[in-house]
Order: sequence, then structure tokens, then C-alpha cells
Amino acid sequence: MKEKIRNFIAETTFVDSSTIKDETLIFDEGIFDSMGLLGLINFLESEFGVVTDDTELQEENFGSVERIAAFIDRKVAVAS
Amino acid sequence: MKEIFSRDIIKLKDIEGTINGICIKLKSDVNQVLRRKGGVIGVSGGIDSSVTLAIAVRAFGAENLLGIMLPEKDSSPDSKDFAELLTKKFGVKVIEENIGGALEGFQCYQRRDEAVSRVIPEFNPATDKMKIVIPEELIRKNLPPVFYVTVIFQDGSEKSVRLPMNEYLQIVASSNFKQRCRMSMLYYHAEALHYAVLGTPNKHEVEQGFFVKYGDGGADVMPIGNLYKTQVYEIARHLGVPDEIIERTPTTDTYSAEQTQEEFFYQMPFEDMDLLWYGWENGYTPEEVAPVMNLSTEAVLKIFKNFGRKKKTTDYLRRAPIHDYPC
Repeated sequence: MKEKIRNFIAETTFVDSSTIKDETLIFDEGIFDSMGLLGLINFLESEFGVVTDDTELQEENFGSVERIAAFIDRKVAVAS
Repeated sequence: MKEIFSRDIIKLKDIEGTINGICIKLKSDVNQVLRRKGGVIGVSGGIDSSVTLAIAVRAFGAENLLGIMLPEKDSSPDSKDFAELLTKKFGVKVIEENIGGALEGFQCYQRRDEAVSRVIPEFNPATDKMKIVIPEELIRKNLPPVFYVTVIFQDGSEKSVRLPMNEYLQIVASSNFKQRCRMSMLYYHAEALHYAVLGTPNKHEVEQGFFVKYGDGGADVMPIGNLYKTQVYEIARHLGVPDEIIERTPTTDTYSAEQTQEEFFYQMPFEDMDLLWYGWENGYTPEEVAPVMNLSTEAVLKIFKNFGRKKKTTDYLRRAPIHDYPC
């Protein structure tokens, strides 16, 4: 899952995927902006069936690859 | 020695000196560098274009300026009254060029309304108004803003929906026709008169990327591009910009529903943003800034990070065409 997320970020931003570590803060580092976040929300829905609520738009859920993966895990667990 | 951070730190120490400095450089840039004899200014009745015009009058004389009102169907009806009030006060000739026909030709409204209707199908462009906002509860979450479209129905009820990427991009791209049409019309008159286009963005708009590339960002000079909004207001009062203009809430004048600049882009009152940006830009620490702003150190740190991110992610807008390709 983390690789899929990393590849999505790399393909969207033209950043070398090897520079995006699990803990890299993708917004703080300027890798992602508003467009990136919107694209990421779309990606989570199309790739993992995860629909993001407004209240879930937090750095704790979207700030890095590992946080996004954990967020997906939590959402999938709740859904099942 | 760095001045102690305070609420007064960005107030102009020598307002006449600052204005004269801008005027001397503006005149030199337009006359000597650009070889143009005067300037055209798009006058919206807002504070930035008003101050730009007031400064330009001092630099060139009113007889070497042309104010142009550029309304379209979503423009506030007040804008024309304020623009006329301003140009009359400063003795500048003003004309009106309605860009509505050009926008219809570009299908600006149709393209925008299609995108809105995809997320709010009950939206009726003929009777309802719309705007884009960033909800307040999302503002301080240390993430880039996510935009919502708000439709205000004829009966006064409202509905807001978070915009998916494609719809957001389509609404912004179609709305940007407005600024680009204005820019085209300004250049028409500038070229016909052998004048320069005097752009009106202030420091925040330039540095945070709150402008449309080749729209309101398309100009020959930007005389107030280095002034904080607080300073723009100081100069407005000093140069006698009418109080009615000074007291208006700054809006984007872009969407059919009125939208303040704060709710669309800046996310905080300009007085606070000026100070925080100054602190960030001049290397003050969150510990120095937080007590003055009545914020926690952590909150200031988040805001500073957000500024850095904003500047970085809007580099594209400020970048001139890249042409240094090998030959």
C-alpha cells in the first residue's frame, strides 16, 4: 500500500520516489499543495474505496506516506 | 540590530519618503526603462487599485493616466461608483469597457457553471449565486486549503460541497478568463496610447500567489508590489483615497456571490497576516512573534510553515517563460 501511495505522489509531482520516505512530511516539504491533496483524496477513493470526510482532513491523516497508509487501514477496518 | 517585534513594526516610519521613493522609481521605470509616457490602470474601486492610481498621479500627473473600469455580469454594482468616485477625486480620465461579451465568447460562465452543476445539480445559474470558500474549520489544520463551492439559492438558503479536483480546476480555469480579459483590454489601451500597464497587486498577492498568471499578474510594473496591506491603507489615508473605498471589505469581485479575500485565500485578517508574514520573512522566531500576536508558539510555527509552503507552491505563477534552451 505504501508503495502505491508513494508512486502516486511521485507520478503526480515528478519527484523521485526514492526521496519520498515513509515519514517525509509531504506538505511541509512543499511536495504537495492543494492540488496534490485534492488528487490524493480522489486517489484514495478510486484505488482503495476510501471516502474522506471533511473532519478527516488533518495532517495526522495526510501528512506523510505512513500516515496516509494508517488512515486507509483504519477506514478499511471500520468499513469491514 | 533587529527591531523588537511589535504590532507597530510594519507601520511606515516615513510615509512621504516611502511614497516619493516609489514615485521616483515608477517614473524612471516607465519613462526611462520601458520608454512609455504614462500608464493605464484597471480601477475596480478596491483599495489596491485606488492606491496605485493615487501614487501614479503623483508620479506622472493625472493627464498621463487612464483609468479603465472593466465590469462583467458578476461585478459588484458598487465597484463602478467607487471607481468613479476615485478617478473624479484625482482628476484622472476614466472609461468603461464591459468585458461581458468577451467572457460570453470564451464561454467563461458556461464552463464554470457546468462544473458547479456537476457537484450541486440543483444550482440554477440564472437565479442562484455561487462562490468558492475555504471553511473556517479547515483553516488551521496545517494542510493546504481544500476548496468548497457554496451556492446561495434564490430563497436565501445555502449549500456547500467540497470540490473534487476536476471541478475545482474547471471553475478556477474558467473564472481566470475574467482577469485575462481585463489584462487584454488594459494592454489594448496601453498600446494605443503608448502607455505602460500599471499593475495593482500588493506584496501578499505577489508573494503568496494570489493573482492570475497573465491576468492581474500581467503588467509592466507593480508599484505597490512591495507594500503590506497595512501600508497600502496607510498610504491610502495619506494620499486622500476616499473613505468609502478605504472602509470597504476587500473582495475578489470574481464570483456571482460576494466573497471576501480572507475567506477565499488569506484565511486570516490582513492586519494579522501582515505581521506574521513580516515576522516570518525577517527571521523572527515563533517565540518572539507568538506573544505579540496572542497566539501559541505552535500556532505561529504552523503559520510560518504554511507561508513557506505557499511561496514555494506558487513559484510557477511568478516564473517568466523559460527560454534558455540550447541552440
